[in-house]
Order: sequence, then structure tokens, then C-alpha cells
Amino acid sequence: MAEAQSTLEVSEPVDLDPIERRPDLIEGNPSFHDITEAVARPLEWKAPLGWYLFLAFSLSLLGLLGVSLAWLIWEGTGIWGNNVPVAWGWPIVNFVFWVGIGHAGTLISAVLFLFRQRWRTSINRTAEAMTLFAVACALIFPAIHTGRPWLDYWMFPVPNQMSLWPQFRSPLMWDIFAVNIYGTVSLIFWYLGLIPDLATMRDRSTTVLKQRIYGLFSLGWRGSHRQWLHYERAYLLLAGLATPLVLSVHSVVSFDFATSQLPGWHTTIFPPYFVAGAIFSGLAMVITLMVICRVVFKMEHIVNMLHFDRMAKLILATGTIVGYAYATEFFVAWYSGNIYEFFAFKNRALGPFAWAYWTMITCNVVIPQVFWFKKARRSIAVLFVVSIFVNIGMWFERFVIVVTSLHRDFMPSSWDYFTPTFWDIATFLGSFGLFFTLFTLFVRFVPMVAIAEVKGVLPQAHVHHHNPIVHGSQGGRGQ
Amino acid sequence: MEIQTPSLPSDRVALPNQGIWRRLPTLGMAIGVVGLLLTGLLGKGHPADALHSYLVAFLFFLSLGLGGLFFVVIQFLVRAGWSVTIRRLAEHVMATLPLFALLFIPIALGIHEIYHWTHADAVAHDPILQHKAPYLDAGLFHLRAIVYFVIWSAIGLYYWRTSRRQDEIGEASITRRLQNLSPLAIILYGLSQTLAAFDWLMSLDPHWFSTIFGVYFFAGSVVGILAVLILLALSLQRAGALHELVTWEHYHDLGKLLFGFTVFWAYIAFSQFMLIWYANIPEETEFFAARWNTGWKSTSIALALGHFVLPFFVLLLRDVKRQRLGLMVVSIWLLAMHYLDLYWLVMPNLHHDGPALALADVTSLIGVGGLFLAVLTRLMAKGALVPMKDPRLAESLLFENA
Repeated sequence: MAEAQSTLEVSEPVDLDPIERRPDLIEGNPSFHDITEAVARPLEWKAPLGWYLFLAFSLSLLGLLGVSLAWLIWEGTGIWGNNVPVAWGWPIVNFVFWVGIGHAGTLISAVLFLFRQRWRTSINRTAEAMTLFAVACALIFPAIHTGRPWLDYWMFPVPNQMSLWPQFRSPLMWDIFAVNIYGTVSLIFWYLGLIPDLATMRDRSTTVLKQRIYGLFSLGWRGSHRQWLHYERAYLLLAGLATPLVLSVHSVVSFDFATSQLPGWHTTIFPPYFVAGAIFSGLAMVITLMVICRVVFKMEHIVNMLHFDRMAKLILATGTIVGYAYATEFFVAWYSGNIYEFFAFKNRALGPFAWAYWTMITCNVVIPQVFWFKKARRSIAVLFVVSIFVNIGMWFERFVIVVTSLHRDFMPSSWDYFTPTFWDIATFLGSFGLFFTLFTLFVRFVPMVAIAEVKGVLPQAHVHHHNPIVHGSQGGRGQ
Repeated sequence: MEIQTPSLPSDRVALPNQGIWRRLPTLGMAIGVVGLLLTGLLGKGHPADALHSYLVAFLFFLSLGLGGLFFVVIQFLVRAGWSVTIRRLAEHVMATLPLFALLFIPIALGIHEIYHWTHADAVAHDPILQHKAPYLDAGLFHLRAIVYFVIWSAIGLYYWRTSRRQDEIGEASITRRLQNLSPLAIILYGLSQTLAAFDWLMSLDPHWFSTIFGVYFFAGSVVGILAVLILLALSLQRAGALHELVTWEHYHDLGKLLFGFTVFWAYIAFSQFMLIWYANIPEETEFFAARWNTGWKSTSIALALGHFVLPFFVLLLRDVKRQRLGLMVVSIWLLAMHYLDLYWLVMPNLHHDGPALALADVTSLIGVGGLFLAVLTRLMAKGALVPMKDPRLAESLLFENA
């Protein structure tokens, strides 16, 4: 096995998959320099008018968030629809929605890295940025949900004059730690990957200010072999550390519900089911964003149909797992023989919120089935529409879980219908303002594609490139 | 389209002549029949005891076959290149699945001794069991078992046959066909495997339920097949086969997957335990109460340590995944833990006070195991141990861990 001399004669052109003729990951056979130019362009050119318009739109939504939060702090949580029996309303729905969105970024950047999926290089930077912004949006809600954000430090184990200590037995506390760890590791991972590209931007700077700022953040990167060696090692280690976080964060989020004794919340499949749903929704958001960005910033050759095709397949796979979880939950609710459990599920499907339940089923289980067809996976219009539907469906999933289990609890005398208020809607839309503002700034000031990594998957990055009969080279092709 | 693949020396892809490989088809059969007969004899006075032991052994080897099915189908689903030279071993393990339809007969006949819900008098006084009667019904139980075995045998044999056919005619279209069928196969597998775990394991305690249970069984069976693949490849290489076809790069990746699924198993097991423990609802906690407030406590602790903590730290080491002894020890250990896991799931329903090792545990393991090995080696003796004409063979041979 570990002989010095191989006695096997293997000489095959392995950089082309014999079945699929694995296509080039980057279209148009660009040179290294072409990649740098293409990615740096949005940062160096004058921003198009559309960018300013979208920034203005995002900022106005952000303003709506500011007003909503100011009014919340002034008036209190009574401005929301939360009330007994639905004491947990939109804030937690929005929190879970945003945390879930983030998961695709870590899946693409860390898990696909460990699985040697080289196509990830075109989209990982944007997906990770999306993760960070989604986590930022998510963290708004635990911070403000009591209406008393000045007491947020109670959530941290800070010694204080009242000798109060966080309630570590509460899954809501675990959430704080899980999401903060997730945000921190994601930020470090994202930033580490950025360093070589920031150095590129520094070296291309035309003004001293830009040079100083990019120079500061590129931490003295010179691109020496030694630096690359450290970089690659750190990247692998961080990928290894981030991978369990993909599972743990949304599992902990699911504990918020599943540790309770409430029918419809307490079920053991919640952790993996939430994780699959989170990745599902996050991939949809990546598609929504990339469909637009690649056109606006002329990167159709870098983020091409191959990438969408594979993300659509991942959506199909995770959507199927989510469908499996829905079915299992429903079956076991009946199988358990627990009348309250089964009532909760019948109530979801047939009760006053049936419209929300069937919206969820349609968006999450039915509509993504179009991705069985290659034509759909490679049609920008279909991708865009389906990704929006999945986003809607996954928001409704959390709404269904939170509201339908609460609005008809154990005491029929307190049953009630839940209606959101204007401020519920305004806060949610406002959180999109924060997300889009951060994202709009990101595409303008940070290279939105990992330049160094994309160069690594170009055919010419491999020394044996010109020799079709290669020994041991994986070539610069797909997978 | 015919494809050019590297030609492999025939002595490396055939079942070795040395060692016991060639004798295993008959030897295994003999041992297996003796084991099953002994189990039958032991069960004469106490059929319930022997049948529970038999159920554990049956599920242990069945889970390896199912794990093999998952491994093969997922390789086609993701169009994997690295795994080609070890895929055939998993295909052989998967092709043993029809054997388990035969081995299911004692369970089907002994259903009354194993499953409490088949007792009409018990159901008569139990509203919960009456509620479940439309599902937990002996006739439907058998019918479902037939459906599961039809699904598994169909997928298993079809993939096995078709993949071997490629060895002869070398058509690339075969790979494409198996790829195109893989999504359907994996969905059928997922559903049938979940319901089989509900039927054969979860319904041992017919009041208890857990939505994650199908995933739990799945996680354990993947740990099982990965350990088996490592052991099969290592021992075949010791006997001279697969020389340079399965390299340390492949072992390294199998080791990484073994690590990953050991963690995944722990994640699923912990999710199930923690949520039930935390909510503390008696109809759910009875499962863990039976395994904690009794003599089963030490077994439960051993399972948590042995199936997760210890292999976690051992498999974290890169060197362990790239050397014979380390991989062998950890694979054997994890297979033993996988058996313990199933034992821990089944036996507390029989011995409420604590583990009571019985001779039937050993004889049934030898019995089912002997037949499993006999069929497996008989399959392996037919044709090549490696997909000789797989279009991605070269990619797999040249594969290196980055």
C-alpha cells in the first residue's frame, strides 16, 4: 500500500469527468488577472445609479426599524400582537428565520470545503457575508424582545450588584451563547478568507485613504509561501470548527421549542429537522441575492449556471428532508396516542391557521419539486421565483410552529386568534433594511468573490494543465 | 459509449486464494446453520429470550446491509470519484439484503413472543394500544416487512447487478443510469428504513415514541458499514488483493467519514435523550428510565463513552486514520459498540432489571453472522472486487487527500 514505487499503470485524463465532462467552474477561460479585474471592478468603479437607489431603499427600511425599535422602547412590548395565549409572536419567528438564513453560508464555506466541493469558491464569500448579516438581524430580536434592551447584560454571566446570574437551565440562554459563538466563528472564518483579497485591493488602491484602510485590514499580507502555508492550515482548522456549528446552532434554536412540553413543539426530530430547514432557507436566500448581484456586477462567468444548478440540488435535498420531518411529525403525533399532540397537528392542517400551514407545505415541499428538472435548475427566472417562495415558506414554517401551538393551548377558554400589529410588520420589514443595507455596503467595499480561491480552481492553477495525460493532478475542473 | 479505464491485474481484483476467503462461503454457511440451530434449541424452553437475542443479531447484520445500500446509492447520487475502488465492497454487503428476508421468518413467526402489542388480551385493556391498532397490527406488520424487503432487495440487487455488468461491457451509460435512479432509491430507502425502525425496534415498547428514531437507527447503521468497509479492505489487502487499489488516501477518507458519523450518531442520540429528559413527560421518559434507573445504567454509560467519547478522541488523530492497526482497532471497537447499541435498544424490553448475557446472544450472532459472511463471500467470489470499468476508476486510483 505505501510502497515507494507504484506498479500500477494509470494514465488517464482525469481532469475531465468521463461521465459529465465536468465543465469549467469559471466560464470563458479567464486569466488570473481577468478574475482580479472582474471582482475588483465594483469596488473601484463609480457605483451605478441602481446601487445608490437600492441603498436608499435599504436605508429607508432601516429607518423603519429604527422607528419601530424606538417606539418599542418608549411604549413597551404591548405594541406587538403578542398576548396570551400567543405570548411568543413575530419576534421569535423573525429570530429563527434570520438565524436559519445564515446557515447556508457556513454550509457553503465550511462543510463544502471539507467535502472538496470546489465549485463553492465562486459563492462562498457572498454566502458567508450573508451569514454574518443574517446573524446580525437575528440578534436584534433577543436583544429587544423584552422591550428593555438596557437590561440585555442580564443575558451574559456578568457579575452584578444584584448577584443575578443567567438561568443556564433555559434554552433561551443556550441560544445566546450558540448564536454568539456562531457569529464569532463565522466572522473570523470570513475575515481570514478575506485577508489575501484585501491585500489585493490594497495593492490596487489609487488613493492613500483606500490603501491605508485595506492595508490595515490585510494585516501585512505579502503572499509569501510561509504566509500561505499558515493561511491554508488556519482555513482548514476553522472549517473543521465551523462545521459542527452548522448543526449545533439551529439545534439549540430548536431546543427553545422542543424542551417544552407543548404539543407541536416537543418532538425529538426537531434538531436535525431545524438544521435541514435552516440550510434550505439559507440556500434560497443565496440564490435570491446571487441572481441579482451577478448581473449587476457583471460576474455571470464566475457565478454561472453550474453553481445555481448545484445549489438548486441542495435545495431539493434539504427540502426533501424537511418534508420527511413534516411527515414523521404528523405520523408520530397520531401514533403516540396522545390526543393533545394529535390535536395540535390536526389544528395546524385544518384549524384557523390552516392557510399558514398549507402556505408552508406549498412553498417548502411542493414548489421546490420543480428542481427535479434540469431546465428549472438552470433557469434564472425559475430559480429566482422558487427561492422567494422558499424564503416565504420557511418564514411561515416558524410562524406555524410558534403560533399554531400556542393559540389553542390546553385551556379552551383562552383560545384566541393571533393577529400581528403594524409594528410587528414594521419591525420585520425593518430587519430586512438592516440586512440589505449591510449587504449593499458589502458589495461595494469588499471583494464579493474570493479572488484567490477562484484562481485556485482555474485550469492554469495546476502545473500539469497543458498535459492532458496527467499523473495525480485533479486538474482545475468541477467537483 | 465505451470508456477507457486503466487495466487492473486480475489477481488484485479477485477474492484471494490464500487465507480463509475461499472457504468462507461453505465454512460460514456451516457455522451459521449450526449457530441458528443452537439458537433454536436454546429457545425451546424460553422462546422469548432466544428471539430477543436473535432480533439483536438480525438487526445488527441487517443494518450493515442497509448501511451498504446507503453508501452505494449516495456515491452515485453525488457522483463521487474518490470512492470507486471501495464501492464494490459496499455493493457486495448491500447485495446480502435478500438474505434478511429469509432471516426475518423467525421474527415473523415469533412476533407474539417479541411484541407486546400482538397480545389481544393486553390490547383489550389498553386504550393506547387500541388507538394504535390500525398501525400495530400483525397482518400489516408482516405486509410492511414484505414491502421493505422488496424495496431493499430490488435496489440492492439492481445496483449490484448493474454495476457488475459494467465490468463486462464497460458502458458509461450504466453509471449515468445508476446516477439517475439514485434520488428515487435514497428516498425509498429513507422512508422504508424509518418505518422498519419504528416497526421492529420502537414498537418493542409500544407506548413509547420518538420522531427522531428512524434517524437514530440510520446513524448507527452508517457507522457500522464504514467500519465494515475499512475492515474488509484491510483484511483483503492482507491476503494480497486490492494491492494499490485501495490506498491510504481512501482509508483516510473512510476514517474521516467514520469520525463524522460517530459524531452524527452522538448528536442524534443526545438530541433524543436531552429533549426527553428535559421535558420529563412520563410517556417518553419510560424509555430512558428503563435504561437508567435499573441495572442497565452501566450499559447506558458504556454506550455513551464507547460509542462516542472514546472513538471521538481516537479518530480525531490523523495518524490513526492512516495506519493499519489504529484503523483496525477502532473499526472493530465501533462495530462492537454498534452491536451494544442495538442490544441496549432491544434487551431492556426483556430483562427489565439489567443485562443478562445469554448463550443465545452468542449463538444467534454466530448464526446470522455466519450466513451473512457466507453469502457475502459467495457474492465477492463472483467477478471483481473493484468496479473495473467504472468511468471514474482512474480518478479514484489517483485520488489524494488535499
